[in-house]
Amino acid sequence: MEDPIDIPPGDAAPPVENLDRKARALLVGVALLLLACALYVLYARGAFERQQTLVLVADNSEGVVVGMDLTFAGFPIGRVDRIELGADGKARIVIAVPVKDAHWLRTSSVFTMEGSIVGSTKLRAFSNLLDDPPLPDGAERVVLQGDAAAEIPKLLASVRDLVANLTAMTANDSALNLTLRNVQTTTERLNGPQGALGVMFGDDRETTKKLGTTLDRTNALIARLDGLVKRADGIAAKADAQVFGEPGLVGESRAAIVQLGGLLGDARATLKKVDAVLREAEGIASNTREATSDLGTLRGEVEASLRKVESLVNEINRKWPFARDTELKLP
Amino acid sequence: MDLPASLHAAPRRGADAVRLWLLGWWQILLFGAHVSVLALAPSSWRRAQRHRIVRRIYLTTRPLLPGFIVLSALVGVVIIRIVLVTSQSYGLSRYAVEVLVRTLVLELIPLSAALFVAVRTTFADGDRVRAMRAARAFEDMLGRGIDPTRDLVLPRVVAGMFAVITLAVASGVVTLVLAYLLVYGFQSWGLPGFTRTVGQVFNPVIALIFALKTVAFSLAVSVIPMVTTPREKLAEALRINADLTRLARLLAVLLAVEVLSLIGNYY
Repeated sequence: MEDPIDIPPGDAAPPVENLDRKARALLVGVALLLLACALYVLYARGAFERQQTLVLVADNSEGVVVGMDLTFAGFPIGRVDRIELGADGKARIVIAVPVKDAHWLRTSSVFTMEGSIVGSTKLRAFSNLLDDPPLPDGAERVVLQGDAAAEIPKLLASVRDLVANLTAMTANDSALNLTLRNVQTTTERLNGPQGALGVMFGDDRETTKKLGTTLDRTNALIARLDGLVKRADGIAAKADAQVFGEPGLVGESRAAIVQLGGLLGDARATLKKVDAVLREAEGIASNTREATSDLGTLRGEVEASLRKVESLVNEINRKWPFARDTELKLP
Repeated sequence: MDLPASLHAAPRRGADAVRLWLLGWWQILLFGAHVSVLALAPSSWRRAQRHRIVRRIYLTTRPLLPGFIVLSALVGVVIIRIVLVTSQSYGLSRYAVEVLVRTLVLELIPLSAALFVAVRTTFADGDRVRAMRAARAFEDMLGRGIDPTRDLVLPRVVAGMFAVITLAVASGVVTLVLAYLLVYGFQSWGLPGFTRTVGQVFNPVIALIFALKTVAFSLAVSVIPMVTTPREKLAEALRINADLTRLARLLAVLLAVEVLSLIGNYY
């Protein structure tokens, strides 16, 4: 039922059935809608997930904004929670990683921060060894930085050099161009009536004639060589028969070798006899050595006798002082 | 407020125009503060008063809801399609969802909801209130012991605010659903990524600015049409359409709120 205060005169609308009930339903519906929206936004921001933190240390946090993703294999697994300036002057990017996604991060994981030309900076995680221990809560890692925009000046400088080189190479008087022209000329001559010979010896008719003559002679030479080879074949067959035939050189050699074996046996017997002779000579030599030692003894005895005689003469001279002749004459 | 006798003629001096302009804004602010105090006063939420407000909310919002949702869905599909095709042609489709959430849900839908409510309801309500005031109906009601601002104006203001917020939220939800369906189709595999993107857009600052902006839109849409400023009285006296002046004022306020929210979001 309409409130008479609410309706200006002459502006009455048809009454609405169950207005209070419908009005309350609308209020409750809108309140639920607002609540659902708020919960959805909170859920979307990860308010209902258990999270662990990861601190990425970088020289420069340019391009990193709160809320941006940390991706692994292209899937977002974390979100930048805040960015701080550390006491060492380095940027500390604190990332909230939901616990359900944290198993992708290992102690050996590598983190990169790449600035792209289009779009925002990207934080990426790489875990090659998924068997390593999981990254602990609050872990700090140094992030590797790469900036595509920073590479552009270098790239442009390289491209400029490259283009200059290409321009030099493709210039009208460049070596490459001249070479290509020569190749083209050569190809045309190869396709010409004189073919490869024309390419090799040019257009000189005399040379071509000489070359023809040379070829004819070479053919003749080859024919003679062919006959020579046939003769050599005959000689080889004969030599084969002589060497390996029934009365051939090989058989005779074998007989000669047998005879040589017999001769060697005789020589061995002769040598044994010589050996015996040598032994006898050795005995004679030992006897001679003994006789030589006996001669030494004899010489000693003679020398002793002489000394005795000398001492006797000296005694006589002492006792016979008038004697002038002191010469002693031995018998 | 009665118009000074000197202002019944067209203002010949610039100072008069400025004075009129400032006076108009001051009246709007004063009326907005008056209504806000009433809305926050416990006496305005007594049982009978509460029923009156709830009924007015329903009568204001319910007729607007289906039409606006259908309209915003149609326009939303067109815009979503344009953004998707354009982003795909430039190889930037991964940014499409974020762009859609930022442009449609955060900016366009609250603004269009405010304008829709203003054109369909609050301007008409303002006309009625002003007509009653012109017919000295307020004095009669006061004589009968009824506070017309509390019993007649406040329910309309609250209903207008509620309608703007409801239309903005409902259309935002519908637009989000349409954006998901147009990007991923009738598949559920894209939900985590989509939810993540929505969560990235609605960071605490942007969510707060979005809420404040929607409330400011709803307040502007509900309050400005209820007030007759001196310039509008002058315009009516000169037989010029004062509704255009009010609409221009409302648009200026909405634009200022929108610019402030953009500054807050992106600077």
